[in-house]
This record gives sequence, C-alpha cells and structure tokens, in this order.
Amino acid sequence: MVSWLPFLFYLGAAILYFTHFARRDRRAGRLATGLLAGGVLAHTFLIGMQTVEAGHAPLVGTTAAVSAFVWLLGLSYLYVELTTDERAMGVFVSAILAGLAVLPAFSPDLEPRPPLLQSPLFTIHVLTMLFAYASFALAFVLGVTYVLLFKEIKAKQLGFFYARLPSLQTLDVMNGRAITVGWIFLTVGVAVGGIWATQIHASTDPHARAMSVADPKILVALLCWAMYSFALVARRAIGWSGRRAAWLSTIGFVIVLLNFVPVGYFLTRSHNF
Amino acid sequence: MRLYAVGVSHRTAPVELRECIDFARQGMDRALSALAERGLGRELVVLSTCNRTEIYAVTDAEGPESLFGRFMSEYHGLGYDVVSPHLFVHRGADAARHLFRVAAGLDSLVVGEPQILGQVKDAYATANDLKHTGALTNRLFHSAFAVGKRVRAETGLGEGAVSVSYAAVSLAKKIFGDLKGLGVLILGAGEMAKLTGVHLQAQQVKQLAIASRTLAAAETLARHLNGRAVPWASLPDALSAADIVITATGATEPVLTRARIEDVMRPRRSRPLFVIDIAVPRDVEANAGDLDQVFLYNIDDLQGIVKENMARRAGELDRADAIVAEEVERFAAWMHSREIIPTVVALRQRFEAIRQSELARLEPKLSGLPPEARARIDEITHLLVEKLLLTPTEQLKAVSDETMVVTYTDALNRLFSLADDRGKAERGGRRNHEEAPGQKVSS
Repeated sequence: MVSWLPFLFYLGAAILYFTHFARRDRRAGRLATGLLAGGVLAHTFLIGMQTVEAGHAPLVGTTAAVSAFVWLLGLSYLYVELTTDERAMGVFVSAILAGLAVLPAFSPDLEPRPPLLQSPLFTIHVLTMLFAYASFALAFVLGVTYVLLFKEIKAKQLGFFYARLPSLQTLDVMNGRAITVGWIFLTVGVAVGGIWATQIHASTDPHARAMSVADPKILVALLCWAMYSFALVARRAIGWSGRRAAWLSTIGFVIVLLNFVPVGYFLTRSHNF
Repeated sequence: MRLYAVGVSHRTAPVELRECIDFARQGMDRALSALAERGLGRELVVLSTCNRTEIYAVTDAEGPESLFGRFMSEYHGLGYDVVSPHLFVHRGADAARHLFRVAAGLDSLVVGEPQILGQVKDAYATANDLKHTGALTNRLFHSAFAVGKRVRAETGLGEGAVSVSYAAVSLAKKIFGDLKGLGVLILGAGEMAKLTGVHLQAQQVKQLAIASRTLAAAETLARHLNGRAVPWASLPDALSAADIVITATGATEPVLTRARIEDVMRPRRSRPLFVIDIAVPRDVEANAGDLDQVFLYNIDDLQGIVKENMARRAGELDRADAIVAEEVERFAAWMHSREIIPTVVALRQRFEAIRQSELARLEPKLSGLPPEARARIDEITHLLVEKLLLTPTEQLKAVSDETMVVTYTDALNRLFSLADDRGKAERGGRRNHEEAPGQKVSS
C-alpha cells in the first residue's frame, strides 16, 4: 500500500496541474504543487524505509532505478518551480512522474543486492546518472514547450500556449541551465561507471564480463553523452540556442528514455541486475 | 434608509457634459462636505473619473433622484434640465450591482480595463478618511473590491492586449522576456514612428536608434525620444545591433527586403529578430517572415490580435456577470437582514414594556416580599421574555429576501401593534448604523 502512495500523489498532482494549465485556475495550481510536494515527501519516506530495511540505497534493478529517477525529477522540478515561481511546466513534468511511478508501484519488492554491487562507486554511479537524466527530463519539457510557443508566435496564431507559457527567452535560458547541470552529472556518472567497471573486470560475474562498449546500455549512454556534449558546445560556440537547442534536448531525452526503460529491461546484459 | 447610486457615465452622457460634471476638480472633500451639509446622505462616497461621476449614498431623504440630480447640476453651475436626461439612478441591490460592475471593469469603455478598480478604491479611501462612510458603504465597497479581484482572477476579462501598441509590446515580451537591455531600431520619423517609440521607451529598452531617409528628421525624433539618430547608409549595422525593428516609413517600395534581413541574420546566429511593420503600404517584404528566428508582424496582424482579444474578453462577460450576480445576492441578503433590525428592536421593546407594566401592576402584591424574592421575580420574568423572543429574533435576523422583510415587518406590526413603538425603534436602529466602520450589525 505504501508503495502506491507516491504514485497516487503524483497522479493527483498531474490531474491538478492539467486543470491549472487548461483552465488557468490558480487554486488548482497551488494545490498541485502541494500534492507534488506530498508525493515527493511520501516517496522520500518510502526510499528511506527501503534503505533502512535493506541496509543500502534501493538502487538495484531497473524498477528501483526508475523509482529513484522519479524521486529526483520530482525534487528538482519542485526546486525549479519554487525558485522561478513558474508553474507552467508542471503539467508536463507531473505527467512523466505519474507515468513512470506506475512501474515501482506495481512491483515494490526490492531485488537483493548481488555481491558485485557492494561498492560505493555503484551508488555514486547510479545516483549521478539518474540526476543527470532528471535534468535532461526538465530540459526536454522546456524544449518541447519552447517549440510549441515558437510555432505559435511564428504562425501569428497566438493562443493556448501563448497565454500560458513564459517567454521564449526564459525557456531557452532554463533549457541551457538544465543541460549544463545534466551534462556535468552525466560526465561524472559515466566516469565513475568506467572506473568501477575496470575494478570489477576480474570478476567472473556474467554482468561484469558483459561490461563493454558493445553492450547496448553502455553504448547508448555514451551516445547520450556525445549528444549532450554537442548541444553544450553548439550553444556556446556556434550559437545553437533557441529552437535548435530545444530540438537537441528533445531528441536527447528520447534516447535517455529508450535507454532507461526498454534497453534497461530487455536488451542489456551488463546492467540487468 | 436606502442605498442609492446616482450619476452620469460614458453610457448615459456625452463627453461634453461629463467634462462639466467633475467633482475632483474642486476637491473631493469639498464635494463630500457639500453633500453632507445638505443632508443628502448619512453615508457618502463620490467616484469621479473621466468616464463617470457617481454618488453612492445611504439616505432617507425623500425623492433622492431629483435631489442628487439638482445637487450635481447646481454644484457645477448647470441647469437641472441639462443634466437630468443623462442621470442614472439605482436603488438598493441594483446600486450594489452597478458598483460591482464598475469595479470589475464591466462598465468601462474598454471592458476589463484594470485602472477603474484602483479609482474605486481611491474614492472609498477619500470618503473614509473624511468620515463619510458607515457600516453599509464599508461593506458595499469592500464587497466591490472583492468582486474586482475575483473577476480578475477567475475570468480572462482583463487579458490580452486591446491596442496595437500594447499588443506589440506584449509580443516582444513573450519573445525576449524582459525588454530592458534590448536594442530597438525605428525606421521612419513620422507620427506613427514617434508614437511607437514613446511606448517602447516606457519599457526602458537599452538603446533606441532612429533611421530616416533625411537625417535631420531622424535627429529631431532622436532628441524627442532620447535616442540616437543613425544615417540611412549605416542601416545594416544598426539592423544587426537591434533586437526589435519597427518600420513606419512612407516609402512605397519595401525598405527591408528579405535578402537584406537574411544578410544580418547570419552573424546573429540564433538571436531572434522581431520586426514590426506598422507602415501602409508595407515596409518589409512579407516573405522575410519565413526566415528562421525572424518574427514579422505587420499592422494587420497586430490588429487581428487586438480584435481576437476583444472577442475573447466579450466571451468572458458571462462568467464575470455570474460572479457579480453571486456577490450582489450575498450583499443584498446582508443588507435586507439589516432592514429588519428596527422591527426586531421594536418587538423586544414591546415585550420588555409589557413585562415592566405587569411588574408595576403587581407592585402592591409584591411589596411585601423580601428583596431577594423580588430580585428573583425580576430575573425570572426577564428570562421568560428572553426565552420567548430567542427563536423569533434568530429567525428574523436570517430573513434575507426583500419581500419577506416587508411581509414579516407587516405581520409583526399588526400582531403586536408595533407601529406605536416604531418611532422609538427607529432611533434604536439608527444607533446601530453609527457603529464603528466595518462592523457587522446583523450577526
């Protein structure tokens, strides 16, 4: 039952954020923020309980990782909303949260931690990667909304999004920040992962043996890193901000999501704990 | 004792007359004390803006319509017959409805404009400072402020630009966020260019450059706008430095071709350029708007936006009216529940009088009793009266419908022949109205 609590909160928040966005109802907006905060709190409690129960952070397996990702995304979005006083992104973010929170709600049982993962490097690797993904999720939402607003202004059809979203400039600046933060964490995560993989290379565990650039999970993660590195350099060196940056962050996050869920569940042989 | 709203507004009077009827010119304090001196209102608030002059009064003067009309015309040295055809008069709940509509911007020339709420607040504050307000006007105006706020928050009535220049500025804000720190280039030095320049300058843009075929004209406008004149020859440089370009020349051929804009866009990379073409015929080639990162709006586009916003505002009117109706009902309920108070007071006095007279009648029989027993009898009879009156009093205070108030008052007057006590009751009721501002009487 407790495992359903965060999901229910996120779902409630998503519905209220939608009401807020569609009807521009301020009360619904405030309530949505409250529910989201409640969800993150319940989620924190749940993760805390699981940590105490297992004696380590619950990060083993894709489901646990999805749960931690949802928690980090909820937390970072709340931070952004409270610091910028801009609630328009909530409808998109909370939809991602509610959509992904279903997975851990359905299978709340923690997988046992194999001896291979009993390293602080593993915890650091997973947390930094997930935080990077959460930042990219925010960048994705900002990118999508940028494109929607851009199209409306360009087509001179000022309507739905024009009335609801902040300015293009704001969306672009926030997108740039989210990608920078995400890239830093992704770099640290990949580096730590690399170090850890070389450490366990001697192990006979089939996972450790599969740790190579040829494994789909690792390959796509490196592709992500290349993609976001390009987005970062392009913005600074050749002025790819605005719409181009928005498209890059959209494509980037689609890759992240693919790598996270389908690849994580079905394809990888090195990361399927 | 009734609430009235009397006045002239842009709906009832031509501007020539409204200009003459302006209490603000000679000071609101003078107008308010002149009204009070003539005994025209126990409570008074005067609202005077360029579109309306309205008196809100709580009075028991007979025929207040003509009294207020005469006052307005005499005060401004006009004939009553000049003013009277243009006067509107609202009574009771209708007066409240009128004020609520005014405060919400529903009665404004540009529907939904926000200034009027501030003006209503000022009018009330002035009257309140000069102690012309009372329980009824306090409640009335605070309800009006709440209506204004609710309409703003719950409907889209005040949203969307309804003038071309404001539409341009809000578009610019949607693209660039803050306009501070942006470069603006104005092409043309005519009246349209000047108007738009003034509007943008109010947004505190960083740099205002003006280019015109004749440099002298550009320099004149530049001095006026505190900007910088740019020779026509260095237009490309000025163009690449600008974020917003406004074209308003009288040229018959496009001044900014697509090729010209394309040239400056390349070194700008992704920095957007917002081009506002308010010239007729157009100054900018229409297909320049196809360029990536160029937002091109001409005068027709902007007028189209304004028209759409107007239509959208009109679509919100029903919702705003529903809010007004709801608040009027609430206010009217409160107001009517007050009207029954004199009857309640009379009823209570009647019962107390009966008790006293019975005690007096029994005095010979009671005189033999010890003082404690007499005190006891006094207490018991008092409690008895209180108990008997408790439910009727509560029921009466809950009556909120105007016709019910009349029915109950009539019935009680007959049943208990209260009419004789009415004079006393009125005075009792009147004391109630002199309570501290904002204090509720009925509850």
